[in-house]
Amino acid sequence: MSGNGQRRKVFNSFFYSFAGFLFLYSAYLFLSNIDQLFVTEAAIKTREVTDIWGEDREVLNQFAGGFWKDVYFWKSLNLTLAITLITTFIATILGIPTAYALSRYRIPGKSVVEILFSSLIVMPGSVIGICLIVMFNYGPLWEMQNWLGFKFAHSIFPGMVIASLVLSFAFGMSAWKATFDSVNPRFEQVARSLGSSRWRAFRTTTLPLAKSGIVAGIILAWTRAMAEFSAVLFFCGTFRELPASRFSDFTKLLQMDQADWVSVAVWAQVEFGNIEYGFALAFVLVFIGGISVYVMHRIGAKGYVW
Amino acid sequence: MIEIKNLNGALGEFQLHDVNLSVRKGEYLAILGPTGAGKTVLVEYVAGIFKPDKGSIMVDGEDITSLYPEERNIGYVPQDYALFPNLTVEKNIAYGLEARRMPSEQVNAVVSEMISQLKIEYIRHRMPLNLSGGEKQRVALGRALATKPRLLLLDEPLSALDENLRTEMARELRRLQRDVNGTFIHVCHNFEEASDVADMIAIMNEGSIVQTGTLKQVMDAPKNEFLARFVKSQNIFSGIANGSGLKIGETALVKKNICEGDVIVAIRPESIKISGENNQKGENLFSGTVENSLLKPYFSEVVVDIGIPLIIYTMKGETFNRGDKVNVRIPPEKIVVIEKL
Repeated sequence: MSGNGQRRKVFNSFFYSFAGFLFLYSAYLFLSNIDQLFVTEAAIKTREVTDIWGEDREVLNQFAGGFWKDVYFWKSLNLTLAITLITTFIATILGIPTAYALSRYRIPGKSVVEILFSSLIVMPGSVIGICLIVMFNYGPLWEMQNWLGFKFAHSIFPGMVIASLVLSFAFGMSAWKATFDSVNPRFEQVARSLGSSRWRAFRTTTLPLAKSGIVAGIILAWTRAMAEFSAVLFFCGTFRELPASRFSDFTKLLQMDQADWVSVAVWAQVEFGNIEYGFALAFVLVFIGGISVYVMHRIGAKGYVW
Repeated sequence: MIEIKNLNGALGEFQLHDVNLSVRKGEYLAILGPTGAGKTVLVEYVAGIFKPDKGSIMVDGEDITSLYPEERNIGYVPQDYALFPNLTVEKNIAYGLEARRMPSEQVNAVVSEMISQLKIEYIRHRMPLNLSGGEKQRVALGRALATKPRLLLLDEPLSALDENLRTEMARELRRLQRDVNGTFIHVCHNFEEASDVADMIAIMNEGSIVQTGTLKQVMDAPKNEFLARFVKSQNIFSGIANGSGLKIGETALVKKNICEGDVIVAIRPESIKISGENNQKGENLFSGTVENSLLKPYFSEVVVDIGIPLIIYTMKGETFNRGDKVNVRIPPEKIVVIEKL
């Protein structure tokens, strides 16, 4: 008995000290590099070996004196926020009814659908990107794009929405399904036996009981869309280097031209040699993600939203 | 009047085969059966939660088989009561009335009446999470009865309660049913519980209704061996009948006008007369030795060997000890003979 308690004590102290070490070490790494967010022109000039492709890449030196002064950053953030909001909206509209149906009804082939959605969660984004390329560049979907007169791949809309939607939908749906699974279906059955329509029964019993899970799922879908990297990179690529003439007036009006998906921009900047810029963008993503997760936890802890 | 005709259906592992049942208005019917007999499935079909594959359900001459639950006006109290956890007791009871868009003064009046009828004024504003089993039960009943359903379905309503409360609630259910002159269908798996509440009982086994009737009818004349065991006949033997008598092993019993061949014999333990003295008259008199005697709360259970072991319940204050010589009489009219198929 006392041996057991002793062992637990040792385990706890080991666990907490290890977790504490990891936390402090990451905090140290982050804080010690925070000066890079405020990169000065002088710092950029110390790294002049930018002539990678044998030509003068002006673009590399555009960034100086803080990322927030760069139009590219704001346009990218604008683009990412706008597209992720659209993605989250679509994921919510499609995902909640799907999750409800999978949780409540006996649908033939339900387990196949569930396995498909669950397997999306464990799939790397690059695989999803490749699948989307194949899906949209051949066959009936390709014909459809020809008929519509514009291409989905390498487009901001709907390309980025499609690329970010896949995982956002899969994650949101698994959260919503778990939420609906946790609400006793008897509530709705009894509500209907008392004379409520199907919709009123849902609105007055399941919905109030599931609302925190639904909201947490929406936040999860949004953060997951925001965090999408490889699917967007594969399906849409980068836009910064493209000439301004490639963008429509509408895109320019929305301030989304020559901008990138933020997580793709992190990679692109690092690839171009702008490590600091990449780091700064990563910091912004960490900040947004951290706030979202905090909000999600608050909802989870309180068990209600409004 | 509820009439269920040839109801067939399957839900997961549970199946119903040709269920036929009728309940008269104002009648309290208990559906009994062992676990997995399909009782809950039957209730869910009647409530409209699931649709049967075949057959029809008629209420007062109206075919409701294809109606949605909200169109049936049938009250349903599930086993776990399913009180809405986000609403107070009062709001739970008002739920069905609000669904019917009843004006709020009327809702309040009905709710108050229901609450006083169920004697739950003191929990009126509480949330269901903080209620005891018996309180939850009352609220669930109130919620279902507030809308004045033409039929109330109770799925194992007493099984979540403790022993003492169960008898009290059974009495309460009976009283409520009489007060509202409602038609109740009560599902349970316990014979005693059914005997506490029901006018009529229907016994289910393996997805079919095997016998219906009053409690006494079913107890006195079980139709097959399963029923004899289910109604706790206790003394169940295999025997041979010869038209006017029975032979169980070496023991011969008199029973007129019966079939011939292999049969199952069932004798209820309380119908056997036992006496320490040699003063009994009539047919089927035996003398035997007491093998075991148990004093139960309201009766004694005595096991007597008369060539076959007989379990006998006696209400008399007489006590018997192991090894006592006793006289036993089995009234021929109390012997149930079931033909072996």
